[in-house]
Amino acid sequence: EELEMRYNTSITKGLTTTFAHQVLERDGANELKPPKGTPEYVKFARQLAGGLQCLMWVAAVICFIAFGIELARGNFASFDDLYLAITLIAVVVVTGCFGYYQEFKSTNIIASFKNLVPQQALVIRDGQKNQINANQLVVGDLVEIKGGDRVPADIRIITAQGCKVDNSSLTGESEPQTRSPECTHENPLETRNIAFFSTTCLEGAVSTGMIINTGDRTIIGRIASLASGVGNEKTPIAIEIEHFVDIIAGLAIFFGFTFFVVAMFIGYAFLEAMIFFMAIVVAYVPEGLLATVTVCLSLTAKRLASKNCVVKNLEAVETLGSTSVICSDKTGTLTQNRMTVAHLWFDNQIHAADTTEDQSGQSFDQSSETWRSLARIAGLCNRAIFKPDQEGIPIPKRIVVGDASETALLKFTELTIGNIMDYRNRFKKVVEVPFNSTNKFQLSIHELEDPLDLRYLLVMKGAPERILERCSTILIKGQELPLDEQWKEAFQTAYMDLGGLGERVLGFCHLYLNEKEFPRGYRFESDDMNFPTSGLCFAGLISMIDPPRATVPDAVMKCRTAGIRVVMVTGDHPITAKAIAANVGIISEGSETVEDIATRKRIPVEQVNKRDARACVINGGQLKDMTSDELDEALRNHPEMVFARTSPQQKLIIVESCQRLGSIVAVTGDGVNDSPALKKADIGIAMGIAGSDAAKNAADMILLDDNFASIVTGVEQGRLIFDNLKKSIAYTLTKNIPELTPYLIYITVSVPLPLGCITILFIELATDIFPSVSLAYEKAESDIMHLKPRNPRRDRLVNEALAVYSYFQIGAIQSFAGFTDYFTTMAQEGWYPLLCVGLRSQWEDVHLQDLQDSYGQEWTYSQRLYQEYTCYTVFFVSIEICQIADVLIRKTRRLSAFQQGFFRNRVLVTAIVFQLCLGNLLCYCPGMPNIFNFMPIRVQWWFVPLPYGILIFVYDEIRKLGVRRYPGSWWDQELYY
Amino acid sequence: MATLKEKRTCGQRCEDFGRFVWNSENGTLMGRTPEKWVYISLYYVAFYVVMTGLFSLSIWVLMYTLSPYAPDYQDRLKSPGVMAWPDTYGEEILEIIYNTSDKASWKKMSNCLHDFLKPYNDTKQLECNHHNCTKGKYFIQKTFSAPDHTKWACPFTQSMLGPCSGLEDPTFGYNCTMPCVIIKMNRIIDFLPSNQTDHPPYVNCTMLEGHENVAKIEYFPENGIMDLSYFPYYGRLAQPTYVNPLVAVRFSLIGKKKAKIQCRVVSDKISYQNFYDPYEGKVIFDIQALK
Repeated sequence: EELEMRYNTSITKGLTTTFAHQVLERDGANELKPPKGTPEYVKFARQLAGGLQCLMWVAAVICFIAFGIELARGNFASFDDLYLAITLIAVVVVTGCFGYYQEFKSTNIIASFKNLVPQQALVIRDGQKNQINANQLVVGDLVEIKGGDRVPADIRIITAQGCKVDNSSLTGESEPQTRSPECTHENPLETRNIAFFSTTCLEGAVSTGMIINTGDRTIIGRIASLASGVGNEKTPIAIEIEHFVDIIAGLAIFFGFTFFVVAMFIGYAFLEAMIFFMAIVVAYVPEGLLATVTVCLSLTAKRLASKNCVVKNLEAVETLGSTSVICSDKTGTLTQNRMTVAHLWFDNQIHAADTTEDQSGQSFDQSSETWRSLARIAGLCNRAIFKPDQEGIPIPKRIVVGDASETALLKFTELTIGNIMDYRNRFKKVVEVPFNSTNKFQLSIHELEDPLDLRYLLVMKGAPERILERCSTILIKGQELPLDEQWKEAFQTAYMDLGGLGERVLGFCHLYLNEKEFPRGYRFESDDMNFPTSGLCFAGLISMIDPPRATVPDAVMKCRTAGIRVVMVTGDHPITAKAIAANVGIISEGSETVEDIATRKRIPVEQVNKRDARACVINGGQLKDMTSDELDEALRNHPEMVFARTSPQQKLIIVESCQRLGSIVAVTGDGVNDSPALKKADIGIAMGIAGSDAAKNAADMILLDDNFASIVTGVEQGRLIFDNLKKSIAYTLTKNIPELTPYLIYITVSVPLPLGCITILFIELATDIFPSVSLAYEKAESDIMHLKPRNPRRDRLVNEALAVYSYFQIGAIQSFAGFTDYFTTMAQEGWYPLLCVGLRSQWEDVHLQDLQDSYGQEWTYSQRLYQEYTCYTVFFVSIEICQIADVLIRKTRRLSAFQQGFFRNRVLVTAIVFQLCLGNLLCYCPGMPNIFNFMPIRVQWWFVPLPYGILIFVYDEIRKLGVRRYPGSWWDQELYY
Repeated sequence: MATLKEKRTCGQRCEDFGRFVWNSENGTLMGRTPEKWVYISLYYVAFYVVMTGLFSLSIWVLMYTLSPYAPDYQDRLKSPGVMAWPDTYGEEILEIIYNTSDKASWKKMSNCLHDFLKPYNDTKQLECNHHNCTKGKYFIQKTFSAPDHTKWACPFTQSMLGPCSGLEDPTFGYNCTMPCVIIKMNRIIDFLPSNQTDHPPYVNCTMLEGHENVAKIEYFPENGIMDLSYFPYYGRLAQPTYVNPLVAVRFSLIGKKKAKIQCRVVSDKISYQNFYDPYEGKVIFDIQALK
C-alpha cells in the first residue's frame, strides 16, 4: 500500500497508460545505456595523432611552407613539395582509416553479441494484461513473471509461489534464490522480496511484482556503470610499440635536427635545410610499420576467431602470449557446465559412469537386479522433462526443464534405459512430494507397469544420510537384506569416498506398498503423507559432478610446460574445486596441500612447513581475513593455487595480487560482477555462451565455446605473433638506413640526390608491406610452448641488438648496395663518381641547360632530372633486391634458413613474387616517370645489388651459425636479437 | 601491469640513467664493460673496413669496365638540348629584357655574350683547331690521327657570326633595337643530326607572340646552318679542343619591341616536341627592348 502511494499505482490494476507514458518520458526507456563509448570522431582523430603520424604531419606542414615560400617567390617549378605534402597527408589519413576500420570491425563483433530480439514483458496497466517491449516499462508498473522469464527490471515482489531466481550473474551465488513478498533484510541485495533486472526466474508459477527501478538505476545498471569507470589498462604490446615509436620519433628528430644544423653550417639556405629536415624525417620514419603491426595482429585475431577466440582488442592477442598467470573460472570453463552422473554405488561396489561429452567412455556392468531398481527409482522419482521436438539431438545436448541434478539423472536414465518419457507413462504417477529443505527428500508413488500387479511403488531420493535413516533393508544383488551395522559402515565409506571426489551424492530407496492396505484408488495426500515414509529399502547412491572438459587436462599440461600458472578461482565448494583441480591437473599428481600433509604425517596443520606444500586451497572466508601481503606470500609459496567460495570482489583482489608479483594475468569470467576483475586483468576473457553482456563489454577477448583449451591456443598464437612481429619489425626497420643514407650523402657530399621522398614512400607503403606482413605467417622456430613467458621488462619487442644489427649491419650493407648501383648507373650514363661529388648545385640548377658530364656531353636540366629519376629507380631496385634477401634472413632468428625451409611459408614466397612484380610495374609501366618518378631502367642494373643480397644472406647465416654453436658467447650476446 | 606502469619520479629516472651510464656493480659503461666496448668497436671497425673494401672493389671494377672515350649508354641523350645566350632568366623562362638607354642594362647582355664567345676567339681557335675541314660533310674519324692520340676538331670562330660576332659591334646590338641572340646546340657523342647529308641542321626562329613587333630576323652564319663537319662529337678525351657550332640570330624590334620567340634547330633527327623538356631541340625566350 505504501508502494501504491509512492508510485501512484495500484497493485491490482497497475498504472494507467497515460501516466505510464509520462513516467517513461521522465525516466527514459528501461534499458542499460551502452557504456559511454568514445565518440567516433575522437576515435578517428586518435588514429591520426599517434607519435609517427605527428611527425608526418610536421613533415607535411614543412612541405607546405616550403611550397608556399617557393610560390611566393614566383618559382613554379617546385610542385614536388606540394605533391609530397599531399602524399604524406594521404599516408597518414589512409593508415588512420585503416586502423579505424580495424577498430570499428572489432567493435562490431561485440555489437553482434547483443541480443537483438527485444525482450517482452507482461504488464498490467488499466487493469488489463498487455504484452509490451520490456524497454517500455516504467517505475510503478505491475508485471507478471514466471519460470524461465528474464526479470525485466528491479522488481518488488507482491505475490509469489515457489519463485526462484538465478542471481549468479549479479552476486555469484550459484544456488537459485527463493523470492517471496516478505522483506527479510534491510540490504536490497540480500532481501528476498526484490528480484533484479536481467536475472532469470528459474521456476515458480506466475508471480507479480512492482517495478521499483528501471534502466541504469537498477542494481545491475549501477554495477555496469561502475565497471566502465575502471580505466583501461594498456596492453604490453601497446607499451612496446609506444616505447619503440618514441625511440624512432626521437631518433628521427635528432637526425633531422643534426643535419639541419649541418646543412645550415655548410651554407644551405634555411628553407633548403628545412626541406632536408623533412626529407630525413620521411626517410627515417617507418611509415608502413603501424599498418604492418595492425595487419599482423588482425591476421592472428582472425586465426583465433576460427578457433573460437574472438579478440575485441587487437593488441590483446600478444598480451595473451606474454601471460604468466591464468585465473580461470571452474564452471563452464574447465568443466562442461552440466551435472553428469559420475559414480554409482550399489551392490556394495562403486561403479563409474561415462562422463565424456560424446559418450565415448566405458560403461559399467548393468546386469545386476539392484541396478534395475536403482535406475527405476532414478527414472521415476524425477520431475525433469525434455523439451519437446528434440529427437534428432544427441541426449547430452538436449534441453531439459528442471534443476541440475534431476537433469543429470534424466539424461543418465535416458541413456541407460532408453525412452524415459515412455517409461514414466507406463508407471503412472499417483502422487508426488517435491523436494523441500526441511525433509530433504523427494518422493513419488506410482502404479506398476504390470497391470496385474496391483501394488503401488513408492520411490524416494534425497540426501543420502536422510534416506538411510528411513531405510530398514538394503538391496544387494536383487535381494533385500536387513540393513545392519556392517552395511551402514559400507554405506558410510562409499558416501565419504564419493563426497571426497567433490561429487554431489544422492541416495535412492523404494518400497512396494501393500495392496491390501493401499488398494487401487486409495487417496494419497501429499501434504499429510498418509503412507509410510520409513522402513524403506535402500537401493544405492548416485553421485554427480560437473565433469571437466575432455580437452582441459591437456591444455593445463600445456600451460605448465609453457611456464604459465593456472589458478582456479571459483564460487564452488573447496572439495569440489580441489577435486576438479586435481582432475584437470591444476593440482598435479603428488602435490599436497598443507592439510594433506598434516593428515598424512598426523600432525597439526600449524606444524607443517608451508613451503613443503605445492598446492593450496583457500576459500573465500580465509581470503577475507588475509592481508594483501599474506595473499602475495601464499601466491609466491604455492605454485598450485585453488580459490574456492570466492566472491567476485575477491577475484579482483586475487588479480591485483598476481599483478603485484609482476605477472601478466589473464582472467576468465562470465558474470556482471566479474567485469571489474576482467577490466583489471591484463587480458580479460569473457565466456561467449555463459557470459553476460557486461562481462563481454569489459573483456578483451571472448571465448565462443567457453573452453579453457581455447585460451591455450590463444597463448600459443600470442607468442608466435610476438616472435613474428619482431621479425616483421626488424625487416621494416632495416630499409630505413638505405633510405636515410642517400640524404646524408646528398647533404654532406653534394652528389645528385640518389633517392627521392616519393620513392621512399613507395618502398615503405607499397612494395615492402606484403613481405613484412607475410612474416606473420612464419611458423615457430622452436616449440614456443616450452619456453617461459617473456618478461615484459627484459624481453622487449624491439631491443638494442635488433635495432643495431638491422641498422648498422644489414642496413649498412643495403646502403652500400644502393650506392654501388647508383654510381654504376651514373657512370654508365656518363657521370663518373668523382664528378658527382660536389655536383649538386649545378645539377639542380634549373637554368643551366648545358652541364657537361665526364665525357664532355652537354645535358639540359630535364635530361639531368630524368637521370636523377633513373637513380631513384636503381636505388629503389637495390633496396628491393636487398630486402628480398632481408625477408629470407628474417624468417629465422636462430635456425638456419635451410632448416626452416624456403617454401614452407607460401605467403612469403607469394609476397616476394608480388614485390618483384610491383617493382617491375613501377619501373616499366608507361607514364611512371612523370607521375611517380620511376624510370624504365636497364635490366642489368637489377643485378648490380645481387652480390650484396647474397652477402646479406651469407652473413646472416654465419651469424645464426655462431648463435647456435656458441650460445651465451659474446657473439650470441651481441648479435642475437 | 603494475610492474610496467609504475610512475617514476624524475630523480629516479635520472638515477636509472646514471646507472646506465656507469654501473659500478658490474663495471659497465653504457650497458657494456669497457672490455666489451673494445670488442664491439673492433668488430664494427672490421665490418666497415671490409664493407668499404668491397664497395671500393666494386667501384674499381665499374671504372675498369668503362670506356674512357664514350659512355656505355646515352639513354637520356636521345636528342640534344638547345640554349640561347645571353642566358638571363626571369621567373620561369629565359627573358632577354634590356634597356637601350640604360648602359648598365645592355652592357650586362653584351658582357654575357663576350664571355660566352671567349673560347671562339679567332686566334685561339686557329691555334688549337688548325685542321682544315671539308664543309658540308660529316667529319667521321675512325682513327686517332691528331697529335697526342686525339681526333681533329673543326674550328668555329667568333668571326663566323658576322655582325653578331661582337668584333664589329661590341654591343651586339643591345644599344639599339637589333639585339643578337646566340643559339647553341648541346653536344652528344656520336650524334649525327641528320640522315641526309645535303640537309644540314639549321636554326629557325618563329614568333609565338608579338609577330608585329619583329620586323626582320637574320641568321649568321648564313641561313642559320650548323655545318655537318662539326659532327659527330667524339668526346672530351678524343676531341679536347672541340667547340660547338653556333648560330647568331639578329632581331629587328619595332612597335612595342616585345616578342616571345621560339628558336628551333631543324633537322630530321632532332625532336622538339617533348612536353617534359622545353629545351629539347628548341629554346623559347622573351625578348624585349625597353626605352
